[in-house]
Amino acid sequence: MKQLLLAIALGVLATGANATAIAEAPWLPRAAAYRLTLFFGNLTPVPWDLLEQSWQQPVDGVAPAHSAISRLSEDDRSAITDALQSRDRNMLFEAATQVVSHGIISHLDAAEVALGTPQAAADLDAAGALYRAFEDGIAAADPEASRRLGLAWLRLASALGSDGLNGVGAIPANVQDFAAARAAISDYLTANYLPEEFAPRDRLSSAPETAILNGVTFDIPTRLPPGTNIADQSPLPRLVLQFEEAGLDEADLPLVAFGDMLFDSPEIFGGPARDLGIACSTCHNRSDVNRDFFIPGLSAHAGGMDVDGSFFNPLFNDLADDHLDTPSLRGIRFTAPYGRDGREASLRRFTRNVIVTEFAGAEPSDFQLDALVAYMRQFDFLPNPQIDAQGNLTDLASEAALRGEVLFNTGFDGMNGNSCASCHTPERNFRDGLTHNLGTAAAPFLGGTPIHFDTPTLRNINFTAPYMHDGSLPTLASVVDWFDSEFALGLEEAQRADLTAYLQAVGDGEDPYQIFEGRESEFRLAWEELTTFASTLNTLLPMQDDDSIALLVATVAPDLRADASVMVNQAAKTQVYALADLLDAVGTASADGNWQLAGERWQAFEAMQAEIDERMY
Amino acid sequence: MLTRRLVLAGLTAAAFGLAAMPALAQSADPLRLAFIPQENPEKLLGDVEVIIGWLSDRLEMPVEGFVTFDHAAAVEALRNGDADISFMGALPFVLAEDQIGAVPLLSEVYRGAPSYAGRIFVRRDSGIESLADLRGRDIAFADPISESGYLYPLDLFVRDGLIADAEDARNFFGNSFFAGGYQQAMQAMANGLVDAAGASQYADLFLSPEQQADVMVLGESEQIPSHAVIARPDLDPDLQARFVEVMLSLNEAENRPMLAYLFGPDGYAPADPAAYEGVRELARRYGYLR
Repeated sequence: MKQLLLAIALGVLATGANATAIAEAPWLPRAAAYRLTLFFGNLTPVPWDLLEQSWQQPVDGVAPAHSAISRLSEDDRSAITDALQSRDRNMLFEAATQVVSHGIISHLDAAEVALGTPQAAADLDAAGALYRAFEDGIAAADPEASRRLGLAWLRLASALGSDGLNGVGAIPANVQDFAAARAAISDYLTANYLPEEFAPRDRLSSAPETAILNGVTFDIPTRLPPGTNIADQSPLPRLVLQFEEAGLDEADLPLVAFGDMLFDSPEIFGGPARDLGIACSTCHNRSDVNRDFFIPGLSAHAGGMDVDGSFFNPLFNDLADDHLDTPSLRGIRFTAPYGRDGREASLRRFTRNVIVTEFAGAEPSDFQLDALVAYMRQFDFLPNPQIDAQGNLTDLASEAALRGEVLFNTGFDGMNGNSCASCHTPERNFRDGLTHNLGTAAAPFLGGTPIHFDTPTLRNINFTAPYMHDGSLPTLASVVDWFDSEFALGLEEAQRADLTAYLQAVGDGEDPYQIFEGRESEFRLAWEELTTFASTLNTLLPMQDDDSIALLVATVAPDLRADASVMVNQAAKTQVYALADLLDAVGTASADGNWQLAGERWQAFEAMQAEIDERMY
Repeated sequence: MLTRRLVLAGLTAAAFGLAAMPALAQSADPLRLAFIPQENPEKLLGDVEVIIGWLSDRLEMPVEGFVTFDHAAAVEALRNGDADISFMGALPFVLAEDQIGAVPLLSEVYRGAPSYAGRIFVRRDSGIESLADLRGRDIAFADPISESGYLYPLDLFVRDGLIADAEDARNFFGNSFFAGGYQQAMQAMANGLVDAAGASQYADLFLSPEQQADVMVLGESEQIPSHAVIARPDLDPDLQARFVEVMLSLNEAENRPMLAYLFGPDGYAPADPAAYEGVRELARRYGYLR
């Protein structure tokens, strides 16, 4: 019971392809450094500075917060240090593998010595936490051993016995059982993770060495390294859809509803993104941004990543470490061109670019692109009563903001007589539809031309920090300071404060975050979304569009099941599973071409949905 | 002075004092709270630091917190005065009540109730449909000193006439394990290492969302009083009352975020000593109490 919070805080990352990601349990520093070694070691180019940090500094997602290298034996420390200095990827992999193996074996040995005391449980916990680093590799490449070792860990825990409470309920330790289970694990690790010599390999993984040597074919599910956060931002941004504010129901707009589903679907991506359950909405929460999104090695800081690196689509790897801050999609129909560098005038073409080139998806159909664009064109800005339709401040703005508005519209010599408003044109949603070179990117070679970047809108920017294309400036005040310094504007401190107040006034928005309370729960929101997505079957079934139905079912059914885990009304969870089963049945019948059965299953789904709706929170 | 036995291994510097209130610290004995680790002792250490700061501020007195190895160490700390107050499950509480006269102050509230149940979980695809089907099969429980993770789920088999007592369970099950916690027991079941798990009503939340959809409840016990906050019997009654008052203020909206640092209940309710009678009776029946 007391562990309820921890159930949420310590859950494991969802491994299936769905959009529900939950926080991952902390890693022990050595296990984390090993997993980071695998992840970074498989990137091209290998980020050696990050690899060094992984071992030499406390990293995110670990507990206790000390560096991995600080707790190593002299030999292990030397092996890691030498490998890092040599910048030899395989050498580091071998040293890291040995570090974890030595750690598990020595903690197991210590637990055996301490059997009958509380220290034995502590050592066993530490050994198990280190074993986690190898667990997915063993499960994928040697499932028989995975089960055998899993039972050995269970036997170890049970063999610890219990002191009870001052003798009451005491169970003596089982020395023989413990020794046998310990030996089973240690022997396997010695044979598979402490070989005399490691086989050469192209790709680093946690697979056991015997599987590599025997040429076993295996597929380890894609995992992201410790420190990753791909769960939705907290608090969740509020979504403003034009049709909804106008009183229409998405269920009556099937193209929009299908696009909404695609926006939440990992199925349109390929490779690791799809395997990890990453969808458009993972980075663009509710049309806005996910300021918490972070993947070590891909993100320089939270709220963005390098989208053209080797991880998601090696074909699109530009070999440059160029983190991009995730832009908000609020009001996206008004903010062309698209891409931070404004390379696409068409939202449709840019969407195709994200699916195919950035996230390795198959070529989307015209229908899919139509639907995605139809949905995204409904994204509006958060209303902001501090500005009028022409972008001028209203009476609700502060005196400081009004003074800042004058400065914003004042030409500066340092900007060739232009004002801030020259590019961030108030009557055009504070952008000009052009790209400019502000000196924020270096030229690709001496004498080359630096990338120009699109003028971003200033609407609702209070909720999208950090700023600039690479997220290099943390606050609006720092942006003002940067312009003042970079373009020699000569602003006094009070003027900079006024200009910041102006930006905050035009960047504001009403009710920026989704509020969850009582029955208006996180699950209720997901329930309404997912059943609306499913309602597009009313259109797709008569069209006998089995491809779109398959995609819809593959997206919605797993998400229904996964989202049930966050229900407030846990007692009704099994009903959600039953409903998801009905949706699967629609998909199966559709794939079989049995349209009558598909229709019947869909009717059963709708009937059950109506029946259980009251309990869905 | 805390003995080594009382403090979690490797965390001997884990006694947090409140440096921000030197005047009070000099003029009053601190209130000492014992916390019992669950799945992640390191996270708990950070939580303890936050919550004792908050409590110290509200109680206007110094508060110290430390993490013990287990329930036994917490009870020992209460007995010898190293701790004034401890967080504790219902079964260890009734044992502490019996052994040192500990008194319950507060009960955790989950889903609107200061109680919960123990359950037997199996995989949906296991073909197991009743408790009787578990004859000769393997089961994992959480811990022998656990009401929802052992005694109450086990008692379901007694009530169904499948076993006579805990000893007889050896003859009924194939293998019976104590996995070390709810999460370990549930993972062992979900991963197919054992056929069933005996754990808290909410223990399926320890599984991934996909695993949760793959398990089902085979049996559920009667309601058990939820985990408690207990005090040593000779703790000043006025201080007990103040502590209860402050802890109940966690139910107010502005204080609710602090609950996340206290094992994450939905709130607290004043403890009702009579509510533990069922636990006492069960503990007597299984030989835990005289």
